[in-house]
Amino acid sequence: MTATPATTPGGFLLVLAVLLPAGGVLLSFVLGGRAAGKIALGLTPVGFGLACLVAMKVAAAGAPIAYAIGGLPPPLGIALRADGVSAVMMVAAAIIVAASAFYARAKFVMPEGAPESRGALTFWIMIQAIWAALNLIFVGGDLFNLYVALELLTFAAVPLVCIDGRPETLRAALRYLLFALFGSVSYLLGVALLYGLYGALDISLLAQRVEAAPMVWTAAALMTAGLLAKTALFPLHLWLPPAHANAPAAASAVLSGLVVKGSFFLALRLWFYVLPGLPTAAPSVVLGALGALAVLFGSVLALRQARLKLLVAYSTVAQIGYLFFVFPLAAGAHVWSPLGWSGGLMQVLAHAFAKAAMFLAAGLVAEALGHDRIAGFTGAARALPLTFLTLGLGGLSLMGLPPSGGFEAKWLMLRASAASGQWLWSLPILGGGLLAGGYVYRILAPALADGEVEIKARPQRSREAVALGLAVLALALAFAPRGFFDFLEIGRPSVSRSAP
Amino acid sequence: MNASLLAGLVGAALVGLGLYGLIAHPHPLRKLLAFNLVGSGVFLVFGVVARRGAAAGYAFDPVPQAMVITGIVVAFAASALAVALILRLAVASGGVSLDPQGPAGRDAGEME
Amino acid sequence: MIEALLVATLAAPAIFLAAGFVGSWRTRALVWQFLAPAPALAAGVFGLSHAPVSVDFRGLGLSLTLDPPGALLLAFAALLWMAVTAALWRDGAPDARFGISWILTMFGGLGVFIAGDLVSFYLLYALVSVPAYGLFAFSEDAEKRRAGAIYMAFALFGEALLLMAFALLAAGEPHGSVRIADVMAALPVSPWRDAIIALIVAGFGMKLGLVPFNGWMPLNYAAAPIPAAAVLSGAGVKAGVIGLIRFLPLDVAMESWGNALAALGFFTAFYGAAIGLTQQKPKTILAYSSISQMGVIAAALGLGLAAGDAGASGTMAFYGANHLLVKAALFLTLGFVASGARLSGLSLALAAALALSLAGLPFTGGALAKLASKAQFATGWPALLATLSSIASAMLMTHFLMSLTALPADAAQEARRETPAVLIRFWPALVLGALLLPWFFADAPGDALSLGKIWEGFWPVAVGVVAVFGWRRMGRSAPVVPAGDAIVLYECAFARTIALGPVFETADARLRQWPAAAASLLLIVLALLVAASI
Repeated sequence: MTATPATTPGGFLLVLAVLLPAGGVLLSFVLGGRAAGKIALGLTPVGFGLACLVAMKVAAAGAPIAYAIGGLPPPLGIALRADGVSAVMMVAAAIIVAASAFYARAKFVMPEGAPESRGALTFWIMIQAIWAALNLIFVGGDLFNLYVALELLTFAAVPLVCIDGRPETLRAALRYLLFALFGSVSYLLGVALLYGLYGALDISLLAQRVEAAPMVWTAAALMTAGLLAKTALFPLHLWLPPAHANAPAAASAVLSGLVVKGSFFLALRLWFYVLPGLPTAAPSVVLGALGALAVLFGSVLALRQARLKLLVAYSTVAQIGYLFFVFPLAAGAHVWSPLGWSGGLMQVLAHAFAKAAMFLAAGLVAEALGHDRIAGFTGAARALPLTFLTLGLGGLSLMGLPPSGGFEAKWLMLRASAASGQWLWSLPILGGGLLAGGYVYRILAPALADGEVEIKARPQRSREAVALGLAVLALALAFAPRGFFDFLEIGRPSVSRSAP
Repeated sequence: MNASLLAGLVGAALVGLGLYGLIAHPHPLRKLLAFNLVGSGVFLVFGVVARRGAAAGYAFDPVPQAMVITGIVVAFAASALAVALILRLAVASGGVSLDPQGPAGRDAGEME
Repeated sequence: MIEALLVATLAAPAIFLAAGFVGSWRTRALVWQFLAPAPALAAGVFGLSHAPVSVDFRGLGLSLTLDPPGALLLAFAALLWMAVTAALWRDGAPDARFGISWILTMFGGLGVFIAGDLVSFYLLYALVSVPAYGLFAFSEDAEKRRAGAIYMAFALFGEALLLMAFALLAAGEPHGSVRIADVMAALPVSPWRDAIIALIVAGFGMKLGLVPFNGWMPLNYAAAPIPAAAVLSGAGVKAGVIGLIRFLPLDVAMESWGNALAALGFFTAFYGAAIGLTQQKPKTILAYSSISQMGVIAAALGLGLAAGDAGASGTMAFYGANHLLVKAALFLTLGFVASGARLSGLSLALAAALALSLAGLPFTGGALAKLASKAQFATGWPALLATLSSIASAMLMTHFLMSLTALPADAAQEARRETPAVLIRFWPALVLGALLLPWFFADAPGDALSLGKIWEGFWPVAVGVVAVFGWRRMGRSAPVVPAGDAIVLYECAFARTIALGPVFETADARLRQWPAAAASLLLIVLALLVAASI
């Protein structure tokens, strides 16, 4: 994306995509809790439409669309830029936020006359703030600007964890916040070093200027470690299981499906957009190795959880590991790199939809049964068929069985690992699938067996349908046409300067 | 020793102190202070960058200063959020501990 | 025409599956779903009399292919699915979980024979493997759950091996095509050729029950109700046969791999028969017979691979198709005998002919299958081993017939409950069909009627029958081997592995302490720095 003009036609859409939910946040503050829900729900279709419009513009132009804020081009000004990956992530974020908001109505929309609750106001404001921050992350073109977006994302995510004010959720939120803060300060230090070297923070400008200097690697290492802390890559996952397992289901879906992807997205930006011209093979192997450990530990721990939400949360730890195979498998400009890149992005999307669906379904199970202990699930699938169908379909994608986005991701990654001769990565990819099969089996086998469960409250059909819809989307990714993968390549730097 | 070097050394010392606090002090409030120390160290590094004019070619580059101001606002917001959480936790459980399963902290009895 | 039939082969089960989810159509969909394999039957019959065709749907990345080996298996599988499905739902509706598992398995079990590209083959193969869990394991019975868990473990492990094999196959194709024909053309020069063949043999070997992956099959068939066992042992396992046929480079002579597979196949054939002779339950004996028969098929394909004889695919498809009908009919025979119907001399003769068909009894379809396999087992040690395996099969099937006559009351009651009444009523017709149908599809059925061939088919069977009777007369009893034999050892090893879980838990708890996590953050910075500077 070297020769992008400062502002392209349609560039204002990017500003709108960020400002729309941000405006929703402000309006919700002013108008209060009862209106906040309506505002958030009302904005979701508009935001979805905007994201689709951005995607259409990018597809039509075949190149990124950009907007220079205040008409000031980089390096002094800040650019917003949407390429194929940004557009796809924006659409995915809009869908998942919309689904979670719709699902959360039952819990957080206050009927007329009832007193306003602080929890509901928090939820509606924070979910819009997360959305705004995510959109900014997806289109941000300036590393410092992205730092601010990343912090906004964390500040919006933390209150969602402790929305009900129980001590253990507060503790989880505090762990999350404090660890994330150290991550962001590490990222910030890297930003300072890069600016000190090159006097620019715009991604495309930096990409032209960086060289393989020790200071650049220091900056990259600091930024990456910070981003890993926020992504909860093993062994920096101390905050994730309690935070994701204790948040309300609608919040967990957004946290697990989207929020951890925000910082991962920045790691992608760093390694594939800022540093692609440098020899990144060895650090990529470090990242991939951490991913492999995450797959192993996350899956084994998921196998051992007694509660469904903790199981799903640990499965997130494992699935995050898969994301990091993209670094060794898509590095450089080889014939196989596009396979690895497509596989990595497919994993981001498949996990986002599948995990969001599973958290929503886990919330429904917990509400219907009054608990989420897996040992008490015997026969539950007959009582809650749609919900367990959702868990099953989501699990299918996690296991990487066809037809599902998870399968597509694995298939592409395996092909990349074979074609690149890095066949060692196929071991964690396949082994993780087997372990995932184990923990999905643990949920489904007793639920589908004969037995009776006591249903405390029958879940609303519409909420079950929302969760199922997300799971179906995770499956539908398997049928993504070739054009979709070409779209993902739009704006990805061609690695012409690649040394090896 | 010129001013840049001094600022750089102080920045490094602050980051080091902060990291020690992060690793060694279990109390969340101390960790928050440690975060602010690391943050201050990083801001000093930004100062050094500004002073050297960086590659932008200015005598004193204003951009890092703008970034530091933004950074301070963000760090302030973060600290406020963390303090609020610590206070809520203290009220809700009568003690402040980050350890979910260990025996440390007076509120261990209330956990699941 | 053929395009439409191939699409309909996949579309028909899919439509019935979808209709099953619509409340008002469900009942009708279930009653009529026995028609879902009809297009597959038509496509199979069509494909037998026409040159191989391949249809690409570029937009979908889907490719379907129909060649004589696939067509034969497709036609026979479709017939079996139709008959059993019609009977099962005529008799009363099994519950929804079973119904959905059934139609999903049927979808995969038919489609796998016509899949023409790696991805759709993998999808359909997964469908014939994974949902079959629902046909037998949703139960409070601990033994059935055990069978289900073991089945699932093998199915998923096999899938993982195959996925790796397919990824290597795709990576070896220079133009990025995933059509099976293209990747197989590129296989002989692929740098990962040996790894691919090892993975293919292991992956499909899990489905076929080749030693040492045989242990799940006896548990599975013992746990499955008779109709499910009939389609799984008949049609389901053939997914492994078509897998080997499609993914072994039979037209390229690979002597060492071929001989290794042949050795494994023959070992499985005798091992299955030997362990089967120690078993008492009819379903378990039939499972070991399947293991043994699949061993014969693997051996023949191995010899074909060693000789570079592509014709082995056709003969083994025929051998597999015969086994498909006979094995399914044998499971129904268990239901028939258990139903308490009066056993006339004719029905006894039918049952014996059916059982011994697997050993190549003259005038049965088995004789034709054996004759076809002569192409691979012509001379030398393969010929000897093939004859010995016929004797072993005759012994095992005699043992099976005897176990039927001594069926314990509770087992008989269970078998009776499981078998649809229609199948019991039409049992003689089904058996005759299974015995005679192969005659219409054999290349040169007349050859099997020459006196020499009849004698050649007869004496191993006679030897086997006499051996079992002699053994019984001497009052010898077989050693006790648990059903699934080596599976018990695997379960021990698995339990040991599971015991490692707490180690991970402790490690995780330690790593999630603040000092450890904060130190990890610093270490990651250092590791990235070190990696970047080397």
